[in-house]
Amino acid sequence: AGKEPTTSGEGRERQANPAALGLVPRADPVDSGSHFAPLLGLTDPGFSDCPDLKMSRVTTALGGSVLTGRTMHCHLDAPANAISVCRDAAQVVVAGRSIFKIYAIEEEQFVEKLNLRVGRKPSLNLSCADVVWHQMDENLLATAATNGVVVTWNLGRPSRNKQDQLFTEHKRTVNKVCFHPTEAHVLLSGSQDGFMKCFDLRRKDSVSTFSGEATEAGQDGKPWEWVMTGWVPVLPVLSCCVLRLHPSFAHGRMQDAECGANGACEDTLCGCSLGPLCVTPFHSQSESVRDVQFSIRDYFTFASTFENGNVQLWDIRRPDRCERMFTAHNGPVFCCDWHPEDRGWLATGGRDKMVKVWDMTTHRAKEMHCVQTIASVARVKWRPECRHHLATCSMMVDHNIYVWDVRRPFVPAAMFEEHRDVTTGIAWRHPHDPSFLLSGSKDSSLCQHLFRDASQPVERANPEGLCYGLFGDLAFAAKESLVAAESGRKPYTGDRRHPIFFKRKLDPAEPFAGLASSALSVFETEPGGGAMRWFVDTAERYALAGRPLAELCDHNAKVARELGRNQVAQTWTMLRTIYCSPGLLPTANLSHSVGKGGSCGLQLMNSFNLKDMAPGLGSETRLDRSKGDARSDTVLLDSSATLITNEDNEETEGSDVPADYLLGDVEGEDDELYLLDPEHTHPEEPECVLPQEAFPLRHEIVDTPPGPEHLQDKADSPHVSGSEADVASLAPVDSSFSLLSVSHALYDSRLPPDFFSVLVRDMLHFYAEQGDVQMAVSVLIVLGERVRKDIDEQTQEHWYTSYIDLLQRFRLWNVSNEVVKLSTSRAVSCLNQASTTLHVNCSHCKRPMSSRGWVCDRCHRCASMCAVCHHVVKGLFVWCQGCSHGGHLQHIMKWLEGSSHCPAGCGHLCEYS
Amino acid sequence: TVDTSHEDMIHDAQMDYYGTRLATCSSDRSVKIFDVRNGGQILIADLRGHEGPVWQVAWAHPMYGNILASCSYDRKVIIWREENGTWEKSHEHAGHDSSVNSVCWAPHDYGLILACGSSDGAISLLTYTGEGQWEVKKINNAHTIGCNAVSWAPAVIPGSLIDQPSGQKPNYIKKFASGGCDNLIKLWKEEEDGQWKEEQKLEAHSDWVRDVAWAPSIGLPTSTIASCSQDGRVFIWTCDDASGNTWSPKLLHKFNDVVWHVSWSITANILAVSGGDNKVTLWKESVDGQWVCISDVNKGQGSVSASVTEGQQNEQ
Repeated sequence: AGKEPTTSGEGRERQANPAALGLVPRADPVDSGSHFAPLLGLTDPGFSDCPDLKMSRVTTALGGSVLTGRTMHCHLDAPANAISVCRDAAQVVVAGRSIFKIYAIEEEQFVEKLNLRVGRKPSLNLSCADVVWHQMDENLLATAATNGVVVTWNLGRPSRNKQDQLFTEHKRTVNKVCFHPTEAHVLLSGSQDGFMKCFDLRRKDSVSTFSGEATEAGQDGKPWEWVMTGWVPVLPVLSCCVLRLHPSFAHGRMQDAECGANGACEDTLCGCSLGPLCVTPFHSQSESVRDVQFSIRDYFTFASTFENGNVQLWDIRRPDRCERMFTAHNGPVFCCDWHPEDRGWLATGGRDKMVKVWDMTTHRAKEMHCVQTIASVARVKWRPECRHHLATCSMMVDHNIYVWDVRRPFVPAAMFEEHRDVTTGIAWRHPHDPSFLLSGSKDSSLCQHLFRDASQPVERANPEGLCYGLFGDLAFAAKESLVAAESGRKPYTGDRRHPIFFKRKLDPAEPFAGLASSALSVFETEPGGGAMRWFVDTAERYALAGRPLAELCDHNAKVARELGRNQVAQTWTMLRTIYCSPGLLPTANLSHSVGKGGSCGLQLMNSFNLKDMAPGLGSETRLDRSKGDARSDTVLLDSSATLITNEDNEETEGSDVPADYLLGDVEGEDDELYLLDPEHTHPEEPECVLPQEAFPLRHEIVDTPPGPEHLQDKADSPHVSGSEADVASLAPVDSSFSLLSVSHALYDSRLPPDFFSVLVRDMLHFYAEQGDVQMAVSVLIVLGERVRKDIDEQTQEHWYTSYIDLLQRFRLWNVSNEVVKLSTSRAVSCLNQASTTLHVNCSHCKRPMSSRGWVCDRCHRCASMCAVCHHVVKGLFVWCQGCSHGGHLQHIMKWLEGSSHCPAGCGHLCEYS
Repeated sequence: TVDTSHEDMIHDAQMDYYGTRLATCSSDRSVKIFDVRNGGQILIADLRGHEGPVWQVAWAHPMYGNILASCSYDRKVIIWREENGTWEKSHEHAGHDSSVNSVCWAPHDYGLILACGSSDGAISLLTYTGEGQWEVKKINNAHTIGCNAVSWAPAVIPGSLIDQPSGQKPNYIKKFASGGCDNLIKLWKEEEDGQWKEEQKLEAHSDWVRDVAWAPSIGLPTSTIASCSQDGRVFIWTCDDASGNTWSPKLLHKFNDVVWHVSWSITANILAVSGGDNKVTLWKESVDGQWVCISDVNKGQGSVSASVTEGQQNEQ
């Protein structure tokens, strides 16, 4: 089911239908379509996927007759209360309090055919609450009037007035009239007065009367007592019928169920202008009948619904008692409809906003389905050819018409939003066509809805939920039907890494359930996929201050490396190289901090340095080697150098990089290394004096144990040493890293450290852009003043706040606090001061100081008085922890200079430290 | 295997600020909260109060307590609050005329502000004014036909050149993005008088915009928005200039089906995209500025197909 291209036809439709509620209807089949069509061999137009037909006319062949049409509406002169369709599906009758017209349903529009409201001063008999068109006789109509009159109309009458018969038997509004589906002359009515009457159209009076008071047949413990009343003068009671009335009937107690205490008629359908007027002395307490419907299955059965929430089942031949009665809803049951195919099913709708489907074939009515709508249900109509679909409209608040799949009780399958006011009447145009729905509304319009033009909330509904969790895990909920389909194709193998946390069990008995359920799973993502574990680890383990720069860099590089973040480790190493003079440091540190991430270039540098500093080798050794000796020789040397490195290493920092680790790496690239080696060393020797100058220097430093202070002191003078060798050898390193810019800079050995800061700045920006603000902030803190001035305050602040925010999300409060403390940005460091509350207690009564002043509310004494000057201390207050006396800092200091006793005279020997 | 016990389709799942709780909402009108710490899943609360399918949920920043907002087809927005371990409805907003499709909390720096996008085309902004009172501002006709998604811009102090006097509360410019059925993404900005004004209209999609996600700003000078649409396309919008007026779209990918959701990772460098084929793909921007798919999570199997990287294999 795809989406439709916007066609010009759609645009036309919009114009033609200004009442449309904006939503572009998405016509996709909600159901598979397997339920309909084959019966009559009709081309199921509502479910064709052909996009060209969108919003255009739809033609349905129905057993000879042809249904065509499109979504359209026409304006009525007055609000409609009910509509009914002629059996030829070509005409519709609209009835209301001041309208009673027949419209022909043509292809493009409704055409008014007949106005049945004739006469200059239409009587109240024409104020229709309901209308029904006979499903066998095209000329026969019945209306229910708000004044209690039931009228039948014969369109075949030659005169202008088509009124046929008039039954004035009900005392109050007749809510519903209903023809027998097969018996041509039987008409049933249900009224607000609590009675249902059955009329034989060949007679002038009702044949039988059924009272809502009746109890179920054959049941004891009846809730009501029954009395024979005999003749009641006002009522034209039928001779053939025994009328049973409730005792309160005689009292004539007024209990206007549908009219609220405030007098406002709650029931908009009733439209009962008669309201209080229609109360007769015989107005009974019996519950008003809201709907009556003949069963399609049983010739003699009809169902009736009541305002007290009951549904009754009657046998037309037994007016004395109902066959069955049950409470269907909480509050009035406004409507009911028998299923056209599943003959035992009855759908009921009530003020409790629910539509319930009952199986009436069982001994006790069994609730099969329950649909929760958002407003009280005024009408319910099963959708033809769709076993589980029914249409509903509401009595108030909600103006839309919904089509529900009863198996999916929470989301309407389709929604028609054309009406601007309450929809009062709905009717499927043809009993075997599921695509045309007609509706009348209080907004004085008559609409034909095409199912395919309906907006489908199900389609709008998001079938998937997705959320990126804090730790990089993904929560993903998806429609299960698709899941099921896929798992059939590729069986689930039980991957432990991506457990499906939540899985709704599929009920194999009800395949439909799959369509409406979701599977929710939480995936853990792999490192590349954004897992954030490293963030926490890094944050916790990084050292940011309190140690010399070089050590910090090394430590952090190590942390990064251990977490498998080689690039970050490399960066730390480089920072160290840049800001701490490499010549001044034990080069061993440098070499092994390169670690795994180091490439040939660094190894090269490594070996170079090692050679330089190997004790006892001196410059002679170096010269020897620079002559380009045999490879075996160098390898040997190198390995020995490595050993030295490790010794060195243990001495200085106790770093625990295993020796073979380094060795293995070096060996792998020996060939390349030493091919390059001579090239680098040869030109240097004749040209440069610097390296030679450097050698003694290095030796000196290496010989002395590298204390931290020492390193720190020298850190600021990086180009003292002849770092050329290092620099040169660093060059190839960069090809394997993204920090290309650094390499270029390194070519020039005589640059001041400031030069690098630009690069460092760029690097920090790079990391920040990569989403690693942690790196940016950490470097910022570690390097401190060295880079701070190069990065504008705003950016720094932004980084800080972002990082702190992240830390707090991960509940790394300590780290966050440390970062705040170490930050130099004013805005950031003030974060620590915010949201800190000091609770002050009075020093006398020990109660909390409620007001902001200095006087305690409770003991009315000034708190925090200075023991020396006896004034209130408003600034720094110092007190003795022994006797808790204190006062102004200066005063106490001065006092204690002269005396060791407490100024308050408590005798305590105070001590100020 | 644990049942979410939702009786109908789940429309949204959101983790809270600390990643410890997961809220889900479903067509069955309920909102459920699960504790998902340490890989477990314990149902903490089952919130009922909506009368229609619940489309989306959103967690507020924990500094305001445990607050969850949900929006539903029943035209209502409900704000739930946990008080002494029990979740209760704390506020109900019924100011929309049609289904409310999206809710999103503003960055915590602004206070408690909730943006709600509805099918009636309006966006409403609920601001907590204390003592259980909420002030409502409504942007009518924000999107013709309906608004499908809202997403707040991260709180950024504007005007890098303007020096903020220290101690004074920074004057934030509040912004959010919305996507709607008019195929547009719109950016909204609060004026000084407190009114919301359309600042930008981003046009690239050819069908309904299903989701927009403003990337968290983690140390970036650029603003980034991801959007996805019914037309199957996902765009990444970036804006480099300080004024925030020029946005350039970049097509991330064209999928074969509707793309329902886009979601940024917390560091804003990875984008998760879920499409109509029930697949989640993860995308990352490479060094040369191209977006590449780094992983492909297939729903049903819970397996990772496509580009399985070295790291993944090592992990096993």
